[in-house]
Amino acid sequence: LQRANPVVQPDTAQQDKIHFIFNNLSNTNLEQKEKDLLATITDAHVPWLQQYVVVKRAAQESNYLSLYCQFVDRLDKKVSQFVKGVIRCTIDNIKILLGEDKVTSSVSLRSLLKNLGSWLGMLTLQKNKPILQRDLDLKQLVIDAYEKGRLIAVVPFIAKVLENVSNSRIFKPPNPWTMLILGLLAEIHPMTDLKLNVKFEVEVLCKNLNKDLKDIKPSCVLKNRTTVKEGNPDWNVRGADSGLGSIK
Amino acid sequence: EINLMEELTLKGITQFYAYVEEKAKVHCLNTLFSKLQINQSIIFCNSFNRVELLAKKITELGYSCFYIHSKMQQAHRNRVFHDFRNGACRNLVSSDLFTRGIDIQSVNVVINFDFPKNSETYLHRVGRSGRFGHLGLAINLITYDDRFNLYKVEQELGTEIKPIPPAIDKGLYCA
Repeated sequence: LQRANPVVQPDTAQQDKIHFIFNNLSNTNLEQKEKDLLATITDAHVPWLQQYVVVKRAAQESNYLSLYCQFVDRLDKKVSQFVKGVIRCTIDNIKILLGEDKVTSSVSLRSLLKNLGSWLGMLTLQKNKPILQRDLDLKQLVIDAYEKGRLIAVVPFIAKVLENVSNSRIFKPPNPWTMLILGLLAEIHPMTDLKLNVKFEVEVLCKNLNKDLKDIKPSCVLKNRTTVKEGNPDWNVRGADSGLGSIK
Repeated sequence: EINLMEELTLKGITQFYAYVEEKAKVHCLNTLFSKLQINQSIIFCNSFNRVELLAKKITELGYSCFYIHSKMQQAHRNRVFHDFRNGACRNLVSSDLFTRGIDIQSVNVVINFDFPKNSETYLHRVGRSGRFGHLGLAINLITYDDRFNLYKVEQELGTEIKPIPPAIDKGLYCA
């Protein structure tokens, strides 16, 4: 990741303390660990810390996303624009993962992507903050994924971003932005030969949002777009993937 | 009778040992927690006494931990384990209670603070259920008195326990 300003790394002793803090963070010691952390770092280390939280923790420890979310909210009160920086960093890393060719074949890359999706949703939509089109265009993401054979990576990601949107006063259905994206997924869902696991992701998302798929108006965006189904991991069509369509 | 050892595997677990003196074990633990990326961990001691002593000591040092051992009431033990499984705390200090191995996905590091006396115990502490195992680390703190047991366990289980390197590849135990 190229940066205009090189990221200032904390020294070894400081990083040791930071690792220790995050390895022992829990619901009952947020206040103490916040104190410990702020006593360890300086302002110059903030970009490094934001990157650390996103890449080393949130992307890898899906079971502690809510905890880390609470922690960054606390830090935000003492460190100016901390959450804003974390969100920016999250989006940057999501884009990196989406840009990887291997994301369609690697379970672990897709797992990181899903975790960052949940994390992003938690930091934005669930707090009634929008994900701006200029930062991450989710609608365009789905369209591109359809055309380029990346639904297998993008649909689970989107599902994670929207998973808890029912908890958002603003973004819960029938919010138009949310319904737009659900409409795209509803357009994809019935397509012939769509891989079962992509179908399931759409169904599970609807279940999480307490919406019946039948009640979601499918969009008409993709009928004017094309994709090649042969040898495409999104579709069960004889080609590179011969025999019974495998569920990966 | 079901041989429980057949249900457990060491597949996916990378095992290391650190050769330490008894009095340096806590310091070693501190180093591990400063260098590794731990989601949740289980730390094993050989007696209920040592479990309580260690848990209290590390709590003072700022660790997030619960403890369980056989001298606790079953209901209390279950409660603590349930809370640990739900993520209420990050580390569990325990004696040998897991007859079927540990079944918690988020435990990516197991530490034998005291090295077990036999292979069966080792397997129950470090091994995972299922054919495909689990990605994780096992770190064994070995004193001079443990050195033959270490060799014996390696041989009997047909596995490899290597000296701990200065840096451990995250790919071995992080998703």
